[in-house]
Amino acid sequence: MIEELGDATLKRIEYLGRFARFINHGSRCSVLSLVQPRSYPLIWSQMNAIGVGSVPVIMITGAFVGMVLAIQAYDQLAGMGLEERLGVLINISVVKELGPVLAAVMLAGRVGGALTAELGTMNVTEQIAAIRSMGIDPVKYLVAPRVLACLLLTPLLIIYADLLGILGGYFVSVIQLGINSRAYWDFSAQAVELWDVVTGSLKGLFFGGAIAIIGCYKGFTCREGAQGVGEACTEAFVGSFISILVINFIYAVVTKSIFLTFWPIKSLL
Amino acid sequence: MIRAAIDNNSGIIVVRELTKRYDERLVLDNVSVAIEKGKTTVIIGRSGCGKTVLMKHMIVLERPSSGEVYFKGQRIDHLSEKQLAEIRRQYGFCFQMSALFDSLTVYENIIFPIQQKQKITDWKAMDELVKGKLAMVGMDGFQQQYPASLSGGQKKRVALARAIALDPEVIMYDEPTTGLDPVRSDIINELILKLKHELHVTSIVVTHDMNSAYKIADRIIMFHNGKIIADGDAEHIRNHPNPTVQEFIHGKVSEAELAALRLGGTRYNTQYSPEDFK
Ligand SMILES: Nc1ncnc2c1ncn2[C@@H]1O[C@H](COP(=O)(O)OP(=O)(O)O)[C@@H](O)[C@H]1O
Ligand SMILES: [Mg+2]
Repeated sequence: MIEELGDATLKRIEYLGRFARFINHGSRCSVLSLVQPRSYPLIWSQMNAIGVGSVPVIMITGAFVGMVLAIQAYDQLAGMGLEERLGVLINISVVKELGPVLAAVMLAGRVGGALTAELGTMNVTEQIAAIRSMGIDPVKYLVAPRVLACLLLTPLLIIYADLLGILGGYFVSVIQLGINSRAYWDFSAQAVELWDVVTGSLKGLFFGGAIAIIGCYKGFTCREGAQGVGEACTEAFVGSFISILVINFIYAVVTKSIFLTFWPIKSLL
Repeated sequence: MIRAAIDNNSGIIVVRELTKRYDERLVLDNVSVAIEKGKTTVIIGRSGCGKTVLMKHMIVLERPSSGEVYFKGQRIDHLSEKQLAEIRRQYGFCFQMSALFDSLTVYENIIFPIQQKQKITDWKAMDELVKGKLAMVGMDGFQQQYPASLSGGQKKRVALARAIALDPEVIMYDEPTTGLDPVRSDIINELILKLKHELHVTSIVVTHDMNSAYKIADRIIMFHNGKIIADGDAEHIRNHPNPTVQEFIHGKVSEAELAALRLGGTRYNTQYSPEDFK
């Protein structure tokens, strides 16, 4: 019993070690690719595959988040006679948390799954071994462009989600619920700061990086057969989803302390 | 004839006391073999006996659990992936499932190993090179096709063209004729012979197709349960006294295995019984 537990723990640690080495190697290759113009076409084609196709789902996600927030929060605020501040609540929530996190979750499903399936299939059909057998680093060729594309595009896609979230909230609040448009925007503009928008979308760098590296790792290590690829996709999604939540929490703690440090001197800037 | 004990320079590739385990499973059991330069060595054996694993060790796609691998007298099994890149470029490896890149055309597949090493400036020369390699395997004209639109045999030939793109000294073939009809198999056999004569390469072929083995081999090595049980030319293997070798080359099942089959049997359910679906 204790032996089994020990064995399982050792396996776990070994696994984490391998994953850490993969992350290390993957990030080095990504940085290298960034400074080598020869790898730009690869990054570019990944950006097309990852980014362009994701825009519609991300926009739909954003719009519905904004709309549902308006519907849910209206009664609460109206009960206190604060319905004109509905925009504050909606826009802060969308820009700081819901836009980035839900956009990232959509990407984990759409992009992370596709990455794992693609690389997993390449793995089981020996295409990755073929790359190695030619003396080429498969991490550099396959992982780096995908990580970079995800990393660079996720913040952009988050901005799309934010934008549609704001429009969706506005549509329901002002047009459906009849809140005064000017008051809605005035209160929102006072409450939402550039800091919120920037930190909210820059989270995407971390989310995107995590989604891509986990998806690639699961693809590279997936077991043989169609079942192996399926399992790897599921694991990749669950893994990225949890890391999005954890990263989001850590990021909130860190940005808050940065904000508090600089807040006193903000008026001087 | 019994060969003298091998040392690191006995052949272009030398494997010494190689053992490989996956978890607890022993796949290669203290294997030593020297591959001669310029010859075609065929490795035969049942499915799952470790032929592919052995071949992958010769190019260090897998690392030994213990033992050593030498290429031209240099030990390579402990080199880093980066250091191995230079060595691996002297090999061409044809994988069992071809392993062509689905997202690239035949043309792009063949220039892939070149393109990843240097920036291509002279595209004319590249066109010529691809044309030449494809002509060698009888596939000129397929440059712009994607692998998905090729048949199994055509894929194998394109994979072969890709493997020789960098003019390797050693070509490894993993089951080149498996899954092909006899005519297409024979095309591949002829190709292997042709490449040997025209390019003077060292070939290592894994197969369980005895017709192919007899046709192309200078030397046949029979592998069983992770060990070499026979090693010699076609004549030697044909007349080998070991019953396992004889069963394999004649495609027969041993008495012991037949007995196990009878004992196991299969029970058929002729009637629906809810118990069976619990
Ligand atoms: N990466 C691996 N992990 C675990 N087991 C493996 C791996 N590669 C091969 N094996 C096992 O090693 C044995 C020999 O495989 P292989 O060399 O592919 O057989 P074959 O002789 O048919 O080519 C098989 O039983 C296979 O399950
Ligand atoms: Mg095999």
